[in-house]
Amino acid sequence: MSRVFALFCIIFSFGARPAISQSQATPIAPTPARRIVILKIDGLNADLLYGTMRSRDPVTGKSLLPWFSHLFAENGVVFENFYTRGISLSAPSWSMLDTGRHSIIRGNVEYDRFTGHVYDYLNFFPFYIGYARSRHVDMPGVEVLDRAGIPLLSDRFEYDQRFQGFQLYQRGVRWHTLEHVLEHRFSSKVLVSMLESAGAPSLDQLLAEETEGELKKSLRNPEILYLDFFTGDMDHEGHATNDPAALLHALRQLDALVGRIWTAIEESSTARETLFVAVSDHGMNNVPSIFSESFSLPDFLNRQQGGAHHVITNRHQLSEFKLMGLNPMVQRVTNPSTASFYLKGEAAHYPTAWLDLDGNERASVHLRNSDLNKIHILLLELARPDLQKTIRRAAAACLRETIDRHRAAWSETAAELDQEMTALKKVIEERKKAVLNLPKKWTAEQLARGEDKAARRLADELDDWQQEQTEYSGYALRLRALLALQDDPEHPFRQRVSDYIPEHSLGENNSVAQIEHYVVGPGVEGFVLDTDGRVDEEKSFRYVNYFSVLADQRVRNNPQPALSARPIDFSAMRVPDDRYDPAIDSPVHAYWLYASEDAQLLILQDDGGRIAVKPIQRLVQGADGKVHWSPQEWRRGLPLHLFEDAQLHVPENPDRAAWLSEWHTERDWLGAVHMSQYSNGVIGITEQFSPFPPDIPGPQGIDPILLRYERRRRELVQPDFEVFAADHWNFNVRNFNPGGNHGGFFRISTHSVWMMSGAGLQARTISEPCDSLSFASTLLSLAGRVPSMPSAR
Amino acid sequence: MLVNSRRRDNIRGLLFSALLSTVSLAFCADIPQTRLQSTTLRETSQFTYYWQTTPVGETAQLLTLFRGASEPNRDRAADMPLVTVLRDTLGDKNPENDRVSYVWLLSYVRPNLGQRLLSAVPFFYWRVTDGPKSLNEHGAAPLLNVTAPQHPVVSEIGRNILQWTMLDPMTTPVRATSRAYRSNESDDERLHLEEAINYLRNAPVGDKDSELTEVQLDTILARLELRKRLLGGFVSERRAAQLGQEDGFEQERIRSRNWELLRQCAEKTGLLFEPLNLGGREGQYAVVWFPLGQAFESSGASLTPIWKLLNLKNPWDDARLKQWHGRVYERSLDENGSLLPPGATGSQPVRLVPLGVYSLNYPRLPLLLVDFRDTLHVRRHEMTQRTINEITSGVIGISHFTNWYYYVAADLYDFIKARHGAAMNQAARLDCYSQFRVELALDHSLDPVLREQMRHYVHSLAINPLQGSPDREIELAKTRFALLQADAQEDGDLAAQLDKDRRAELAEFGENRRARILGDVLHEISFGLYTHRVRQQPDEIAALDRDRRIRYQLSFLDSLADAGTQPEIAYDSSHIHAALIELSDLMAGVKSPTLRAHVGSTVARVRELSRDTALQADCSQALVAVNGQEKPSTAAVSSGLAASTNTVASVGASLDAHK
Repeated sequence: MSRVFALFCIIFSFGARPAISQSQATPIAPTPARRIVILKIDGLNADLLYGTMRSRDPVTGKSLLPWFSHLFAENGVVFENFYTRGISLSAPSWSMLDTGRHSIIRGNVEYDRFTGHVYDYLNFFPFYIGYARSRHVDMPGVEVLDRAGIPLLSDRFEYDQRFQGFQLYQRGVRWHTLEHVLEHRFSSKVLVSMLESAGAPSLDQLLAEETEGELKKSLRNPEILYLDFFTGDMDHEGHATNDPAALLHALRQLDALVGRIWTAIEESSTARETLFVAVSDHGMNNVPSIFSESFSLPDFLNRQQGGAHHVITNRHQLSEFKLMGLNPMVQRVTNPSTASFYLKGEAAHYPTAWLDLDGNERASVHLRNSDLNKIHILLLELARPDLQKTIRRAAAACLRETIDRHRAAWSETAAELDQEMTALKKVIEERKKAVLNLPKKWTAEQLARGEDKAARRLADELDDWQQEQTEYSGYALRLRALLALQDDPEHPFRQRVSDYIPEHSLGENNSVAQIEHYVVGPGVEGFVLDTDGRVDEEKSFRYVNYFSVLADQRVRNNPQPALSARPIDFSAMRVPDDRYDPAIDSPVHAYWLYASEDAQLLILQDDGGRIAVKPIQRLVQGADGKVHWSPQEWRRGLPLHLFEDAQLHVPENPDRAAWLSEWHTERDWLGAVHMSQYSNGVIGITEQFSPFPPDIPGPQGIDPILLRYERRRRELVQPDFEVFAADHWNFNVRNFNPGGNHGGFFRISTHSVWMMSGAGLQARTISEPCDSLSFASTLLSLAGRVPSMPSAR
Repeated sequence: MLVNSRRRDNIRGLLFSALLSTVSLAFCADIPQTRLQSTTLRETSQFTYYWQTTPVGETAQLLTLFRGASEPNRDRAADMPLVTVLRDTLGDKNPENDRVSYVWLLSYVRPNLGQRLLSAVPFFYWRVTDGPKSLNEHGAAPLLNVTAPQHPVVSEIGRNILQWTMLDPMTTPVRATSRAYRSNESDDERLHLEEAINYLRNAPVGDKDSELTEVQLDTILARLELRKRLLGGFVSERRAAQLGQEDGFEQERIRSRNWELLRQCAEKTGLLFEPLNLGGREGQYAVVWFPLGQAFESSGASLTPIWKLLNLKNPWDDARLKQWHGRVYERSLDENGSLLPPGATGSQPVRLVPLGVYSLNYPRLPLLLVDFRDTLHVRRHEMTQRTINEITSGVIGISHFTNWYYYVAADLYDFIKARHGAAMNQAARLDCYSQFRVELALDHSLDPVLREQMRHYVHSLAINPLQGSPDREIELAKTRFALLQADAQEDGDLAAQLDKDRRAELAEFGENRRARILGDVLHEISFGLYTHRVRQQPDEIAALDRDRRIRYQLSFLDSLADAGTQPEIAYDSSHIHAALIELSDLMAGVKSPTLRAHVGSTVARVRELSRDTALQADCSQALVAVNGQEKPSTAAVSSGLAASTNTVASVGASLDAHK
């Protein structure tokens, strides 16, 4: 049974109920929702909300959150156990909620490993500037989804039938909204308030007020069938403070907003056919009296112990204390290492570690391919005029061998890129002609239908294609140059390294073996030859095993007893599909979780989507490329802590250990684990690390070569591995989130809000667990439209 | 006169003619202990804060915030009175008609003539004396009148105008001395405002007779905070209560953020971070330790910005620390290298040198208060900034109006410095210092040697000649409390002042905005000699009771109307019903057209918003009572916008007719 159908049955299992409030005396017949109004609340933890809704205010004699309680708990549907699927981050979570499809956006920022292109999904400012300069029409996340052929929930409604608030997955900008905000900023009321030092409203507050006003106005227009309003206030407050009074204050403001929106709905002519929905993208690990502490991964990677990398982040560290931190257009910041082993002074050209830290409780780590580092070190060594001849010859041989190891794969990549660039060039030419023929002026009707934006979208896409063609062609050029490199073993290498090793590029993903034995610099004693006169690679290079080094990290300044001195909970990565031991039940995909050498998990997924979890230890990748491990019994202390979790609900027979190791459907897993400390982490891992291609259908009628290209572009943002923080730890370095964080799989971080009211829905609380993949499809079904994704993968 | 003395004192100060008189402690000779009534407690880790009430006649009370050690069998006589608040209760138990007016900081001692003269000397940055040894005749003057926050604002504006138009154009000595005096006086006032805020943040709240309600405390906190800002006194009462609450949230945000920032900085630099519980307040301060004899693994990134943020010189390069002759503290580390609490034994001992003590309450970053390696470090910074200000505005006479570009450039400089991690906000620094000096003086929990070290450094931060020693101020707090209790006697000054304030309140009730502004202006230009009051009348208490209850109920209904949503969802209908009935009854005797119009529009709006027919009927009845004519309840027969438009129009028409 499909997940949407199941939810649909649950929601309507008790038939219709009278519409609330407006006409209590006249029950109405069940009405399909003609109009949907969604209140999108960023970072609202469900436990906090539901607990507060249940609390009574002795002053008012009502719930502490009277509107939430009245509309949803007493007269609507509350999904008590609704979870973020995948990591609990805004960009991936909203993408799933807004599309009803598996997420192809898996971080708040992503980097293309070949070109260094930054996909910065949270920064509105470049989008506004780009929109003003007619360079962009949609937020970056929407552009990515469009290229992948995945429509938004709002796209299921005609352009003139929808009202969209300011949010991450936003199409277009309403300039008049921003104009009004600026006008209000300089209104007499605000200026007086500033003079009185009485806390003049911020631009964010004014924007929210203005958008709310426009939402109410749009509600009066019966032709508008899709409306949404996004608020990030709870997320900001939850990050900033764990003061319960401050959080209650923010919740009460949110409650008042719910009341105002509902009042506007009731005053509209389509009130009875309107479905009002409140949803949050993730929870928040915010606990009173415990501050969330940060562990700096850039500092770790800058140090020699961490590889002495020049590190790329998407924002400045401690940005409030830098003038450059004021730059709202920033997308890529280099954090140079003063301890670099071989790239001193090259930070601007060769940053070798790229981080997405916006995840807070999790960070994605992209390291330059270890063999590219080795080649780089060898080329620098070969360029030295004072190098001994024997060492030069050995180093040249080592270089050739290293390149030869990749020759087949790199040749294939270069050939495929050539094909894709040829296909891209063809569509670029066609698009140029189409763009030239676009009208320069638009009638009022065309503007009302959004045709001007559709046209600009074509032009924007053309710009992107042209830029991509230049960048990918440049990468392919260097790859071919490297394959064709014929170094003279008798003379110093005199060419530029950058002609062979592209700057701001990481190359292909590292394998498990490479991450476990990652080249970070030349050896302590320089190049050392073995008895055969070959480079002794173990002695000639420095290596770091990132899994074990990260697991060993300890923080000294940790004054809170509630926090472990170990800031890293576990690291996770996907094991390439053809690289693991096929003896284990023929899974399609395998995902590896590393807490220590002795505490590891393999999460396996078969082609029917079933999942099994195996406790293992000492996973390694052999010289043949295959990964091997030692199985172990289920015990305490493994990643995700499933075995010892009192909230794990599995059948008594077979026993807990057997059940955990067996294959089960996603639904069974969710039912078993959702109340545990890591909630749906088992499913979240498969969502976060699954291969992209099956989830990218591409726009209708796309050339198969270009579809491969689009899938490659997504695959190229996949990090080498992800690091998950221990409870109450975070990886934020931009500023401070002492209040709380999210991003990981902790239940408190993934437990989200989904409630609905109106349009004939019966009051009920649904305790069966579900996740964000069900949201959009269920709404579309309730609105009598085709669901985004009727069945689970 | 308790209240006007402060204003008069300002005038005297402005004219450099402060009169001193001997202090009479006769009032405190026979304070009857039996007058002390109930108490309410709030405990921090080492201290108990509680309110103690003293009746003022039969219709008001003084609430005094005390701090005592949290041991149950302690000697209460040793408890310290901190802040006193006057609450006019009208003699009943109903909090709806209570009014909080004066706030006294009991440790505030007015500077003596010598201090005042020294404070007028430009570039004089030393505290010469510990302050007066006894209280003078104005010893019981309040810090703030919460009910008339606009008065000091108008007074301040007047003094500014006087400075700009008369004193600044005079010779350099006049300009420099007058500006030096005003600057010191303003800082001294701010220091004590912050001290009062700091105490009140620990105060318990509740609905009992013996404690302030949450709204009352929030309002007082906001008024004290707004007093520091030029036009803050003009903020409305409702907004002030909100600000008081929001200010508390902001303080907590700042504190937690600075806590984490300092912890991170310590981690990056190989130092040890330890939050301090000072004076019973947890986590407001932190100390950064240097571990002697340990090696620091070279960081892979430049630490220069971090040392700037810490406002410390790199101790790992400091030769003095390698041969440290100062005090060293023996502590223990656990197996992860984390510092254990004093007295705990861990896996390895460590010898520590304190590097700095930080306040975590400065708005942007942890503020260095004590640099243990450089006594004059923090003082130098303060003196430099003061010197620059005095040279530019006092000696050279650079004006904000004619030389605005200088101030733009100075602000830009400050902004850039602040972006690089410098604490450039002088006023906020003063606030942190104010909190720290008193907390340190009251503390008994720190290691005595460390506390003494801190006190030594903090004394060096006293650069204002008007400032007294915190120990002296604390000593005098009990005397001041005794004075106030004497004033609270039936024949004391407080009863007389209360009567005047009540008559002024009655005169103000129902006045329109124009009349209110006119009254304020007349009050100020007559130096407080004129205040608009009604004549003494026998039913004064009853009239006040009615007025305050009207205000209370109207404020409640206003909040429902402003919410713009169905009122019966947010509040129990019976609560709204009761408010409407009471308001209708009370309005019968009110003639003010302004107030009647206000009540009429509010009730009409509530009726428009409500979907509860009974509540709509209540509103209609209330409108009849207020407007004197019946209006049909349109909302009862048709809901939505059309009904509400009719209602508003009809109410508007009736108000016009009434005028």
